[in-house]
Amino acid sequence: MRRALSVLLAVVLIGGVVTAVLLGRDSDEAPGATTVHGVIGSEKLPFFADPDVVVAFAKHGLTVKVDPLGSREMAARDPKTYDFAFPSSAPTAERIERQLGTGRHYTPFSSPMAVATFAPVAELLASRKLAAKDPAGHWTLDMKAYLAAARDGLRWGDIPNSAAVALPSRHVLVTTTAPRASNSAAMYAAVAGYLANNDRVLGDEAQAKAVLDRVGPLFRDQGYLETSSGYPFESYLSQGMGYSPMVWIYEAQYVGAKVKPEMALMYPSPTILSQHTVVPRTDGGDKVGNLLVNDPELRKLAARHGFRTPDTGAALPALTQTVPPPSYDVLEALLDALQH
Amino acid sequence: MRRTLALLSAVALLAGCTADEPTVRDDTHKAAAGTLRVLAGSELADLEPILEDLTKATGVRVTLDYTGTLDGVEQVTSGTAGKDHQAVWFSSNRYLELQSGASGRIGTQTKVMSSPVVLGLKQSVAKSLGWDAKRPSWQEIADAAAAKRFSYGMTNPAASNSGFSALVALATALSGKGTALTAEQVGPVTPKLRQFFDAQALTSGSSGWLADTFTQKGGVDGLVNYESVLLSLNAGGKLPEPLTLVYPADGVVTADYPLTLLSGADAEVKDRYQAVVDYLRRPETQKTLMERTSRRPVAPGVALAERFGGGTLFELPFPVKLDTANALIDAYNNVARRPSNTIYVLDLSGSMNEDNRLAGLKTALLGLTGADTSLSGRFSGFHQREQVTLLPFSSAPRAPSTFTVPPDAPGPVLDQIKGAVNGFQANGSTAIYDAMREAYRIARAQQEADPGRVTTIVLLTDGEVTAGANLKSFTDQYQKLPAATKAVPVFPVLFGESAVEEMKALAALTGGRTFDGRTGTLSAVFKEIRGYQ
Repeated sequence: MRRALSVLLAVVLIGGVVTAVLLGRDSDEAPGATTVHGVIGSEKLPFFADPDVVVAFAKHGLTVKVDPLGSREMAARDPKTYDFAFPSSAPTAERIERQLGTGRHYTPFSSPMAVATFAPVAELLASRKLAAKDPAGHWTLDMKAYLAAARDGLRWGDIPNSAAVALPSRHVLVTTTAPRASNSAAMYAAVAGYLANNDRVLGDEAQAKAVLDRVGPLFRDQGYLETSSGYPFESYLSQGMGYSPMVWIYEAQYVGAKVKPEMALMYPSPTILSQHTVVPRTDGGDKVGNLLVNDPELRKLAARHGFRTPDTGAALPALTQTVPPPSYDVLEALLDALQH
Repeated sequence: MRRTLALLSAVALLAGCTADEPTVRDDTHKAAAGTLRVLAGSELADLEPILEDLTKATGVRVTLDYTGTLDGVEQVTSGTAGKDHQAVWFSSNRYLELQSGASGRIGTQTKVMSSPVVLGLKQSVAKSLGWDAKRPSWQEIADAAAAKRFSYGMTNPAASNSGFSALVALATALSGKGTALTAEQVGPVTPKLRQFFDAQALTSGSSGWLADTFTQKGGVDGLVNYESVLLSLNAGGKLPEPLTLVYPADGVVTADYPLTLLSGADAEVKDRYQAVVDYLRRPETQKTLMERTSRRPVAPGVALAERFGGGTLFELPFPVKLDTANALIDAYNNVARRPSNTIYVLDLSGSMNEDNRLAGLKTALLGLTGADTSLSGRFSGFHQREQVTLLPFSSAPRAPSTFTVPPDAPGPVLDQIKGAVNGFQANGSTAIYDAMREAYRIARAQQEADPGRVTTIVLLTDGEVTAGANLKSFTDQYQKLPAATKAVPVFPVLFGESAVEEMKALAALTGGRTFDGRTGTLSAVFKEIRGYQ
């Protein structure tokens, strides 16, 4: 077994095509291992591609192969093609559970949505009472105040003392992905929808349509939107402020990355939790969910990738205000309306 | 042949590995081995050597089949791209994604590198404008252009992504709105666009040809082009004066080169795709791409070399609606750009009756009068204010006819052009150079009537010269023309049995280029040439 593992690892290392190993090849299985296929949200691809994660699953006789998909694609996928689905949000998990006629799921880890920014930008926002820093040094973005500023067309140049910071002549807007294609943007729409609905979770399609005028411009005014959450964060890391002063991300992306000293993370208040939920279809899929929840090593690895697990404790700031997402159907109605 | 060699050496490499450690190496390469056929933008040709290294490292062979921007978009949305290709690789997917037909056709996309579209000006000119020390805004650039303080070349926004990116950046910045441009904002900003385009003295359908022409002929103070093209020009050592890269202070639009899987890829193709993008995004490959092609790395952790512009470069928002993008291109063609004199020198000798040649020519020209309703046809039709001259010839030049497309209600004039084209009859021999001499006479008269226009000549002939002057005597007369008229380029279309070497010589003499009408349709070639007119 150990030899098989080392061969597997050698294949991974020498090939340098880590993900290819995971994306559907039969030849790399450790002898005697069971292959389990999963469809996952793309932000979890680095986790499943991590050689340590591969080894951790292999110890339990599992070879896990994953296909990264957007939430809508995932819901549309023929369930027979996978052993488990691992979407990034409760609404998508709910929809897949309904599809499979199962009530079974695992929630091994979560990640709140956050805003990647820069310390001077956070300070400027604080001068307008849009952001605040707590005594522990954690930033929060006041979403209600931010949405009001966005609605009024506040531009960076309108903020006093903004000239000291190199900022674009654009509106003060958080950069997101496309809501139809990407879960992180759907979560942004859910928070904005909650606030626009007088601090109530959107309850039905009529309420979703009613907030469209408030939520739509937050996306439309940004211009072209990327379809996957990987690129905006990568651009933030490599291009800095030039790409965008504020980028909507998963907390895990930031925690797991090498950030520069001037970079800062703001927690929206309220924020929303991205609940990474395993919905198993087969016994193999169930084993994956079970291991992710209960295996100490996999839990540790998840934490290393920035996800919040039951072990996280005080390592990451406590979240004071989170809102629940609407149901799948209501969220879909909002996202559909946003696309038009 | 080079590719075959690369593949062979990759096989040899594999064989060598197998001898050492059979299990490990064999499996690793088998996984991804095979070919990934990619429909690509022509500016990616400089990646070929890096793709050979990729084959050696991964076993995957990547073949790039080149196409133009709008053609590529059409092929993806119509589904024809998927017949022979598994992926597409253009400088940007943004315009493509605005098309309603695109979403079901494309799958995973991975950005490989990036290059902003900026202005490169001769060092001395940039210095005189103070732009070597301080970044100007687009408004300042437009003001200096309107005052004719510099001239430049840029690709046609309907034909090439670099031109379109510049147009979007300019219009978005000049609108002063701070949000993505909308179709309603295009009209109000168009007069300002016009100021900027007043200084455009060279146009082209491709970024590469624009750079080559600038290197060989100069003639303008600089180029609007990809940063990578401008840096490569500086590194090439052929410019009499290096270019200073001017990064507009209020932002740019950046090409991000997403390698994009087409829908319906099976597991094997996905494996190959993944192996390719993993290799391209390795830090050492990213570094190689930066060093050899002057494009910026996108994977985190690779430091940008110093020759790239330091400081913060803002990305301007890109329109989210197709009608905005199309309104911008229309505003450029019909209002903002300098209007053109477009002269067609058309061989109507007897041989044009063979092989449906005359019919092909008529279809190609009629397509430009509005008969072609495809995406590329929409933008390549004759524009408002354009002056179109048809100069048919056979044993001698026939009577030319000139049409000016009016800004309002262009229909009747386009109908007149249709009528003239439909009346073409082929007979007689082939007096190419007598016709060319006549074309330059017309060009000169048109330039004198309105020096603000961009004048070009297209020559279509299906055979060798059989009457009148030869290339030598034409060349002697051409050399005596005034400089402005000599600067009018000829774009010969290789067709039928045309004399390829002579046509190339004619293009080189006048600063034009040849187009090949022997393999594809004349319609496709005539549309491609529109980017140069």
